[in-house]
Amino acid sequence: MELNNNRKLTTTLFNPFVYIAGAQALGLGLGAILLAGLIGSLSNTHFDGVLDTHTGLHVPLWVFLAEGLADWLCLSLVLLIFGKIISNTAFRTIDLLGTQALARWPSLFISLIPLLPAFQRFSHDLVAQLTNPGGTIAYNTPDASIFFAGVTIMLLLLCWEVALMYKSYSVSCNVKGGKAIGTFIAGLLLAEILSKIALYWLLKLA
Amino acid sequence: MKNLPTTCPSCSGKLAVKRLYCENCKTEVEGLYPLPVLASLSQEDQEFILEFIKASGSLKEMAAILKVSYPTVRNRLDDVIVKLKQDKKTK
Repeated sequence: MELNNNRKLTTTLFNPFVYIAGAQALGLGLGAILLAGLIGSLSNTHFDGVLDTHTGLHVPLWVFLAEGLADWLCLSLVLLIFGKIISNTAFRTIDLLGTQALARWPSLFISLIPLLPAFQRFSHDLVAQLTNPGGTIAYNTPDASIFFAGVTIMLLLLCWEVALMYKSYSVSCNVKGGKAIGTFIAGLLLAEILSKIALYWLLKLA
Repeated sequence: MKNLPTTCPSCSGKLAVKRLYCENCKTEVEGLYPLPVLASLSQEDQEFILEFIKASGSLKEMAAILKVSYPTVRNRLDDVIVKLKQDKKTK
């Protein structure tokens, strides 16, 4: 049947939810979120918001793991509510939760980039410059090039992640067009705020 | 296999059956019979519905047969339902 033919690479990369959803996606997605948190902890990279990645303080490992889970839950719950409001179909919650978790898998690659020694050296130099504006720091050009290339790749990966998040919402709730895009953008902004609040309380616990 | 035409190539109106033919005894029956609702669907959609019935209406089984996810099958079914409802409205 046509539905199963022409399994193109682009569909697999940008809309894998045509093939995978539910508990299977949830298992793989949660694995990716936790692994990204674990890798992030090695370079103190925090996923401190639905769309955020920052290098920050050293905290216990469970905080790194919980950050990714909180980001995923905040967006999933907001989109679940929006989906229930605008969708004309009775969709399964597990599909939205699972595909939203799997949509975060590019964060695995994002967490790897700050492990580069040149990236870390340049980040350190930048922080030193910011904390001591009067001082002069001799920037290493190759380090700077690697840093900016890394940041560019991270931004591209983030765009890919957002595209996956939208596809997850569209496929799981069967919503399309302007209404779907509008509620997704609103959901993303709302979830970003919610995740910041959740992470504030999380850091208080730590 | 030829596709069954369901719309008029001239005015795009709905076609109806005027003549039926028995391949066994060559009898021809003339009248005016509306096409079945499912005939208005594309070949692909008709195959999908057939598979769906064979799977006892199980979306999970359909997903396994078509090697796609559960929401993909459900969305496809929703699309077919919308087409059938639109067809009913135009009638």
